Amino acid sequence: MNEAVENKTMTFKEQLLENDRKFRETGCYAGITALTYREDDPLRYESLHTKLRSMTIAAREMARSISASPGVREVGEMVVALYTPEGDAISLSTGIMVHVHTMSRFIKWMIQNGYEESPGICPGDVFANNDAFIGTVQVPDVMVVVPIFHNDELVGWAGTVAHELEVGGITPGGDVYLAQERFTEGLFVCAEKVGENDELRRDYLIRLERNLRMPIYWMFDDKAKLAANLELRDQVKELIDEVGLDYFKRATREFIEEGRRSQLSRVKQLMVPGRYRGHTFYGHLTEGKPGILPLGDENLLYSIPLELDVGGDGQMHLDFEGTGSWGYHSMNCTPAGMDGGLFVTLTQSMNFEGKVNDGAWLATDMNLPSGTWTNPDRHTVATATSWALLLPAFGIFQRLISRGFVSRGFKEEAFVGQVNSPMVEMGGQSQYGSQFGMAMFECSAAGSGALGIKDGIDNGYVGWNPESDMGNMEVWEQGIPMLYLGRSIAADSGGVGRNRGGTSFTSLWLVHNTDEVTIATSEHSSRVFDNAGMCGGYPAPTAHRHFTVRNSNMKQLIEEQKPLPHSLGNDPHITDLERLVEGDQKEVEGPHIDRPLQSGDLFAHSYNGGGGYGDPIERDPLEVVRDVENGYVTAEIAQRAHAVVLEYDEKRNTWSVNKTATEARREEVRKSRLSKAMPVEDWIESERERVLEGDFVTEVRKMYQDTMSISNHFATEFREFWNLPDDFTM
Amino acid sequence: MASYDHEVIRDLIDGQLPWQSTKSMMSQYKDDDRFFKYIDILQERVVFNDPILLPIGEHLYIVAKKSEPQGERVVKCSCGYEFGHYTHNWKLHAVINVRNDEEAVAEIYPGRHSYDPEWMEIREFICPGCARLLEVEAAAPGYPIVFDFLPYLETFYRDWLGKELPAEPRRD
Repeated sequence: MNEAVENKTMTFKEQLLENDRKFRETGCYAGITALTYREDDPLRYESLHTKLRSMTIAAREMARSISASPGVREVGEMVVALYTPEGDAISLSTGIMVHVHTMSRFIKWMIQNGYEESPGICPGDVFANNDAFIGTVQVPDVMVVVPIFHNDELVGWAGTVAHELEVGGITPGGDVYLAQERFTEGLFVCAEKVGENDELRRDYLIRLERNLRMPIYWMFDDKAKLAANLELRDQVKELIDEVGLDYFKRATREFIEEGRRSQLSRVKQLMVPGRYRGHTFYGHLTEGKPGILPLGDENLLYSIPLELDVGGDGQMHLDFEGTGSWGYHSMNCTPAGMDGGLFVTLTQSMNFEGKVNDGAWLATDMNLPSGTWTNPDRHTVATATSWALLLPAFGIFQRLISRGFVSRGFKEEAFVGQVNSPMVEMGGQSQYGSQFGMAMFECSAAGSGALGIKDGIDNGYVGWNPESDMGNMEVWEQGIPMLYLGRSIAADSGGVGRNRGGTSFTSLWLVHNTDEVTIATSEHSSRVFDNAGMCGGYPAPTAHRHFTVRNSNMKQLIEEQKPLPHSLGNDPHITDLERLVEGDQKEVEGPHIDRPLQSGDLFAHSYNGGGGYGDPIERDPLEVVRDVENGYVTAEIAQRAHAVVLEYDEKRNTWSVNKTATEARREEVRKSRLSKAMPVEDWIESERERVLEGDFVTEVRKMYQDTMSISNHFATEFREFWNLPDDFTM
Repeated sequence: MASYDHEVIRDLIDGQLPWQSTKSMMSQYKDDDRFFKYIDILQERVVFNDPILLPIGEHLYIVAKKSEPQGERVVKCSCGYEFGHYTHNWKLHAVINVRNDEEAVAEIYPGRHSYDPEWMEIREFICPGCARLLEVEAAAPGYPIVFDFLPYLETFYRDWLGKELPAEPRRD
């Protein structure tokens, strides 16, 4: 018997507090100062971990085949995990690695709030939660957990999360874009006991049936989650019988302590200690849109600065000081959500080996300033589309650690990182005549940032799901009253650079067999970049627009067998919709909040690409021409941004590089850069006047007013940088 | 523990290694002797003789100066242009081109790819010596220039690499 397992007589809450005390006193998880089981019999130890991990993976795969939701079946928006009795993650399946610590917060919250006494935590109980202030990222991330008892002793928790495609909010879908306060986000399940005796309660299912536009997704997903949990629970109990309870309890805690140590040592192996800084922005265009309430009726600009301090001990400290206040919009985030962002980044960059668990969380810490969107100081704010801000925020984190990888020599791990992934949400009358609601998850495969040694991933990456999959068009068509006219590579959507950012894609739909479909898209940054490039690479464009054609002549075009549009096309100045279709053309900037569409209308949406790496005129001209030939880059950008001189053979419809002219052109560009540029110190002096006068558009000025008032630290640095008087305000 | 020769690392960092080999290296345990081999390779590629202490970007290095003040740790571009002491932001000694009007925006972000220059600007930090584009910032107008990276050099060398840093002369 050892300290980690001798707490049978304590209440769950005492056990949790005791665990925290031991960590504070020893600096080691659960007071485990030596990995004795690992050292004494590594084979037995590793074998246990491998079995637990394979059990979570098997449970997830089983659940995917039970689910009725294409988000889970097609795209794999699910993860299964095993937790200690105190709610610390031991092992996770593949899938959405967001939830290592979000479910942890949920379990701990129940323990801290006296659930042992009421409503009781008993064998066979089922608990659910989608409240981000308790522990999840956003309202559609519904988690279901069951306690694991072994001979009347709580020995752990099995938990599963899936992203639900419809949550019954003010706008249809899962990411409820129009939610401006909690009260319009949809159906909340706040750490509730939703089942007993291994079954979901009928009254809970009735609540789902009566409050969702498309209850089948959430209901079957919950059944799938419960099945996964029960499968995992029963297998874990069998395994405990095999290895012995004391061994199980100590070894699983050693996994977490090992995870903590591994994270620290991996930082020391891959990075360089120091202070890393970066930022990004987010433009929010809602002013005057239908459904915007008075308090939210404004356009907003968010600045998101991040300072990462990597200490000599390998501990990483992330500091979001200087970002903006929470607002009356759906993009606020909670600390649990920020944990989610941390883990999607960590698991793809450092914490990628089998032992993904809460150890890495213990080896990092974050300053999330109270009152900002990262940590709202009231629980009634909306968080339905929290990814909108947290993905750009952790894209910065990805770039900061990549700077460390480049410095240390591990350029193959440098990754300009994730970008936002706008979701198309819709609802109304389905093609079958009934009511429906749906989140289109094809955004699960957009474009990634470039790597330090190669181009980014084209049409196959998002930050939040490492198994990125856009799903089959035919499957999505079964769920929405719209037919795909095409999915196409969006040329020039990756940031230019020596290594190009991955490109995104455009989908174009013909609304079909419905009198009314409302489309409410989410997570778009407009007018500004919410991503960046690295080391001379440029950000990917994210000034987002939607295109619709109402009262179109599509029927006539089809009857006359005339060319149809299949994408927006590669001409950035005119879309194929404008070229080929007649009707009421409209361009909506920012989120698409507009009147419903109906049969015969067209809707086009494009996803995001990633940022570039390195100076674009260092890119191999042959790679540039290959991109032009394959539609990833237009000839216009090849010539302007990469300074490559191309020649087009009309007969063969091929492009080639004029090498001599390209070399001359690049030399011209170098000269032109120097002739156009000015010394930074001179630029600062000239810009200072503009800052002093506050000569900015309203949104920019408001952003400074907000960040300077909420952060003295930012205000001081701002004044120091521009050499402004101490009492300067914007 | 994995270890690779200079040729392999040279091809890897240049993106020239076949993908299968690259993927294999990415999936393996990392080679603990990478750093100084990497420095050797980078040192071959720069025009100066000052020893590189730490790369901080593409073409940007913290070096120990051979000329006076000998041993001073400054930031240099591959071309030899000097940006000042590494504890100060090198960007302040670069030249800058800001894309904040429609024409300049459209060169890189034409038509519907454009951003709003009243909300955002692209700042290109260029080496005055060789015109390389060293870093691009996308920032709201008026946002202070970012100091990307301040490494804890002493800690890195002494505690993480187990080597002593060449001494730096006292700076006033």
